Amino acid sequence: MRANSRLWLVWTMVLVLALAVAGCAAPVAAPAAPAAESGGEAAAPSAEPVTIQVFYPVAVDAPIAQILSGYVEEFQAANPNITVEPVFSGGYGDVKTAIQTTIEGGGAPPALAVMLATDIYDLVNAGYIAPLDDFIAQSDPAYVADFLPAFMANSAYDGQTWSIPFQRSAVVLYYNADLFKEAGLEPPVDWQSWAEAAQALTVRDGDNVTRWGIEFSSDWPYWLFQPLAIGAGQNIVGDNPTEVFFDTQAMQDTLQFYNDLSQVYQATPPGVQANWGQGPSDLASGQTAMVAHSTGSLSGILSQADFEVGVMPYPGKEAGSFASVPGGGNLYIMDGASDAEKAAAWQFIQFLTEPDRVADFSIQTGYIPNRSAAFEAPAWQEYVATVPQAQAAADALQYAQAEFTVENLGEVRTILHDYIHKAINGEMPVADAMAAAQADAEAALEPFQQ
Amino acid sequence: MNASARPRRRRVSLLPYLLILPTFVFVALFTIWPMLLASYQSLFLQRLNIARFRTPTFIGAQNYIDLFGDDRFHQVMVNTLLYVLGTVPLSVVLGFLFALLVNRAMRGIGLARLFFFYPTILPLVSAATIWMFFFTPDYGIFNTALRAIGYTGPQNWTSNPNLALISVMIVTVWKNAGYYMIFYLAGLQGLPQDVFEAAALDGASGWQMLWRITFPLLRRTTLFVTTIAFISAFQTVDHIFVLTQGGPAGASSVLLYYLWEMRFEFLNVGAASALTVVLILVLLVFTLSNFLISEQREDAYAK
Repeated sequence: MRANSRLWLVWTMVLVLALAVAGCAAPVAAPAAPAAESGGEAAAPSAEPVTIQVFYPVAVDAPIAQILSGYVEEFQAANPNITVEPVFSGGYGDVKTAIQTTIEGGGAPPALAVMLATDIYDLVNAGYIAPLDDFIAQSDPAYVADFLPAFMANSAYDGQTWSIPFQRSAVVLYYNADLFKEAGLEPPVDWQSWAEAAQALTVRDGDNVTRWGIEFSSDWPYWLFQPLAIGAGQNIVGDNPTEVFFDTQAMQDTLQFYNDLSQVYQATPPGVQANWGQGPSDLASGQTAMVAHSTGSLSGILSQADFEVGVMPYPGKEAGSFASVPGGGNLYIMDGASDAEKAAAWQFIQFLTEPDRVADFSIQTGYIPNRSAAFEAPAWQEYVATVPQAQAAADALQYAQAEFTVENLGEVRTILHDYIHKAINGEMPVADAMAAAQADAEAALEPFQQ
Repeated sequence: MNASARPRRRRVSLLPYLLILPTFVFVALFTIWPMLLASYQSLFLQRLNIARFRTPTFIGAQNYIDLFGDDRFHQVMVNTLLYVLGTVPLSVVLGFLFALLVNRAMRGIGLARLFFFYPTILPLVSAATIWMFFFTPDYGIFNTALRAIGYTGPQNWTSNPNLALISVMIVTVWKNAGYYMIFYLAGLQGLPQDVFEAAALDGASGWQMLWRITFPLLRRTTLFVTTIAFISAFQTVDHIFVLTQGGPAGASSVLLYYLWEMRFEFLNVGAASALTVVLILVLLVFTLSNFLISEQREDAYAK
């Protein structure tokens, strides 16, 4: 009897084990099956049903998930053979990490993803994304030409086009126009008048600051600092993707100006500031008179503020010049997708970037319309008649130069950020920090020079 | 007789192996295999964002040589050491004290236990988000409270080079102490009461009982808690993503955060694998030595 029960136990274990092994084997086998299927689909006529996944970041400045799901329904109604599955994950970084781990783990990548425009070099070099030239050649030549040049600046590499602008923004300066009027101040025209306005609008109650002149986040600094460098006469990147301009007079002036805002004018808190998140609400609640931020925050600020909100590009170092940089995410088609999926993804891209839809998306989110035709859309015209700040935000783009992106972006950006932090926190003199940043960046770019 | 006994014995000896086989399969698949793979990959030059280095090339120990010559690696190792020394002992001691505090029968004790335990049930990312608000310069609760007790020093915690790592450590201790309390509480409630009664008859003071009886009897719990605390100190960096992103200038970057950066930001697979091997070795050395020291103590007690 005892022997029998042991035998029974052993057989049970063998059974459990067999199930466990089957369980282990299943995920390995799974990715192979869809690949085989989609291979068949590619050969079949395009009316064959096809499903595409779209990876999409939701940790951005607007209620994107809801808006995009609405577009997906519209698209599927118009294209019954295509099913679009939006996959929402945290931020831009999470989307990129999810795609990397999927592809390198041998899984099937999504057909389409929204990732940062600046990710282009890493994505091409890693072989994750597909060039769009064939699709562009098949479509109306006016289509791609219609996107704003500042937004297309980060789409070309190696003689090919790799992305279509989607949710694009720019750096602007928001200011409380009522406070400017009360103090008899005009909007700033150069760094000097900018700093003086910030000083004049700072309010202290003893040692306590009840209102800062300006909030200027610097814990992830390249984006907000780049327009300062452009305004001082030299962008930190040029046309060559392996060249950076950190050790320049413009960058030194930039960091000196930032330090002066706290140390000389006492109009912003000293040291590196991690206040990106609270900037818009601080402006709306009167904790600061100005804030450097993304155009993506416009609708949030307007809905909270009970005063007239001014929007402008950064003033340049000398009077008469202004500066901004674009930012935000583009649409990328993944190289691992089947031809049928790629074609469906391209169709969805075109659907998302129809002028009326771009206008609708921009009105709902605060992102800048990515193509000229959208500015002519009746909905947009009507919108800017009541919200002129939206047009002012878009107009800042005419002063924009290319957003910072180079080969080996992650490492070079970390180098730049580290030395900017050191210069702002007083750990290194400005000139030394930028010389070291240049040297380290050149070392990090050395393997890419060819 | 022999003939009938032998097959039975063989069957018996097979059973334990069969029983651990499913676990072993999973451990091998998800732990041992990735470890071996990382060790192997650490000997290759593979950088995903350089087309000609995308295919791995054997370079021997070059990844390790580069790593040990890298200033950021030194900074990260020092930060990691400070982080472990600053969080593990403090959160374990606090966990023990909390357990002593709530290990009594009185009204509302459930509420007190819940109070200490509640940070544990929050996801670390949520906890960090709450603390980011506490750390807000000027009007954050943390700064307001410090001002009330007369501290007017630097208020910009998460981006001050001297305070960023400490901010991260504060969140870790706050989050973990309640978790370790649960293990100590379970340990305390499982202690034999007769020992304490005997000690009380012999006139031992409360302090003596705590130090000579409670603490030694809980050494198994302490071994377990310090081990998981140490491992978690190396494994959890979620709050760093939320609070500081390793900054300013790497001041709050620790080993696993740097590993993530190397792998997913710098796309350097070889160097990231070398960092993985370093991480595994550190964990292995600590866990083994913690275990061996504790076993030695066990022998000492047995004598």
